[in-house]
Amino acid sequence: MTRILLKNKLDDCIAAWQKAGYSVLAPVQRHDMSSFDEVQKGSDMALDLILTERTIKDQFFPQTEPLIKYNISKKEIASETMTPPDKKRVFFGVRPCDASGLAIDDPLFGWDYKDDYWFKRRENSVIISIACTEADDFCMCTSVKLSPDSTKGADVMLRPLANGNGWQVDAVSDRGTALLESVSSLLEESSDEAAPVPQVAEKFDVEKVMEWLGDKENFESQFWKDISMRCIGCGSCTFLCPTCHCFDIQDEGDTYQGIRRKNWDSCSFALFTMHTSGHNPRNAQSTRWRQRIMHKFNYYRGKFGVNSCSGCGRCTRQCPVDMGITETLQAITNLPR
Amino acid sequence: MGIQEQYRSEAASLLSSGEVKLVIGFGPGTTADRRRALFARTAEEAEKLVLDPACIANLTTYLVAGGLLSDGKKVAIFLKPDAIRSLNILISESQVKPEQVVIFGYTIENNEIKELPGHSIGDFANLGEKLRTATAPPSVQQEAEKLEAMSPAERFEYWKEQFAKCIKCYACRQACPMCYCRRCIVDVNQPQWVSTSSHTLGNFEWNLVRAFHLAGRCAACGACDRACPVNIPLRLINYRMGKEVKEAFDYYAGESSDQNPVLASFSQDDPETFIL
Repeated sequence: MTRILLKNKLDDCIAAWQKAGYSVLAPVQRHDMSSFDEVQKGSDMALDLILTERTIKDQFFPQTEPLIKYNISKKEIASETMTPPDKKRVFFGVRPCDASGLAIDDPLFGWDYKDDYWFKRRENSVIISIACTEADDFCMCTSVKLSPDSTKGADVMLRPLANGNGWQVDAVSDRGTALLESVSSLLEESSDEAAPVPQVAEKFDVEKVMEWLGDKENFESQFWKDISMRCIGCGSCTFLCPTCHCFDIQDEGDTYQGIRRKNWDSCSFALFTMHTSGHNPRNAQSTRWRQRIMHKFNYYRGKFGVNSCSGCGRCTRQCPVDMGITETLQAITNLPR
Repeated sequence: MGIQEQYRSEAASLLSSGEVKLVIGFGPGTTADRRRALFARTAEEAEKLVLDPACIANLTTYLVAGGLLSDGKKVAIFLKPDAIRSLNILISESQVKPEQVVIFGYTIENNEIKELPGHSIGDFANLGEKLRTATAPPSVQQEAEKLEAMSPAERFEYWKEQFAKCIKCYACRQACPMCYCRRCIVDVNQPQWVSTSSHTLGNFEWNLVRAFHLAGRCAACGACDRACPVNIPLRLINYRMGKEVKEAFDYYAGESSDQNPVLASFSQDDPETFIL
């Protein structure tokens, strides 16, 4: 027997969590776009989407984040460190690839310096994943050795019931166990079966890819120029990616008052590596695309032991010129060796 | 022989004779309904060219990218009427030399591909007149009218919500053939003219700067709108700016390749309604 959460108990669940001091965030469709946002009841949620267009990364690493405020007057100089709100949050209905993305980024934000902005939000959040029952042509979690029901990065795992009435509920972490205790009276014992997870075909051989990328001979390969000719150098793939994490620090204001912000940045942009001298070590789009692939499947792996890709496929699904990581890695897989 | 086969074979012979160095056309995409830019450098590669009603992208973006035409050699390119309009604008702004471009013109009517005969921009001179009298798609007009009917406060609220989605990926800029500046104003950081932050001010700054820079220069190809990963209805802004310019200056961007850019030219008949 497993525990299940029936759909008609979802509103009570949300109310219980809210009462316990949590905000509840879930996939929502607003203003012709889907993302994670605060909800008040189950009917606010867009749980049928294969994936939201925006990732939950946005809720941990916002596109713009105030860091420090300063104010200089004749009498005093005041500065204030701004920290993220100390708010407990439940994320309901996260797809396994998005939850994995958070786990992939944890070592980066905690490496030589512990990024309080990331970890404060991480520690205050409980991730409830829902296993996928559908996949589309762009999904590629299995190619990066994850799966449509991966529990990586999740605190609670839900598996949709085959009869569509609700979800099987399993705690994955202590944080998840604690959260489920607060709604234990709303969960039921049942032997209802879970719906099958979709078959997601492996689209590339990640081992072969890593081997090719690791060979220094290939760094200047013509391959990079050919594969990236179509790339127009927008940053949408990086900004919609659940694991891309580059940022820039910007000061906004004047001599007397202002604010220091952490803003998203992208290796797709020419300005990203522009030196003050005017020299740009990555002066062509092909070198920038190479960097993106190398970072994800070579450098990141070398440093943190994991690839910086969770296989969500947004980079291809939403690419304005039909590029994306999948095709590049497929092409590398099929290169003559 | 269908138009696809005809253009494939013409492209192949242009490439084998060395008359053009490259053909920019369409090839199959990741999924059955997607088409993507295909760059053919050899006659064999030209065999992969596809031309069907899914070929809606404006490929002129690639003409102005990465110094493609700086060697003076010729390039052939597949263009539908709005893309020919944008080529006219690029020529009139001295970004492209007309003799460097061989055009494979086509139009999509009732889900069918039709040939637009001619190969050089001059062959399409009468197209501008036709386009000028064409109306925007009913969906765009309806949405635009809805916005016109709003009070300024409501309209501001509408755009605030739309721009709040902006992630400053600049896909709209990169997809637009008219955004060819070597250094975009938002990439100038000494001094920082436009905030890179995606807060209300930063998002308004970017989208308004973009709208103004495209006034009287937009070919309404919809590339920005399709490229936007967060679905901001950019078509409505461009539509409105195009309408303003048409009403104020009787100017239709991209009508011909020798028209003067509206905001870079002066006529004694220009209205001065904004000066009291």
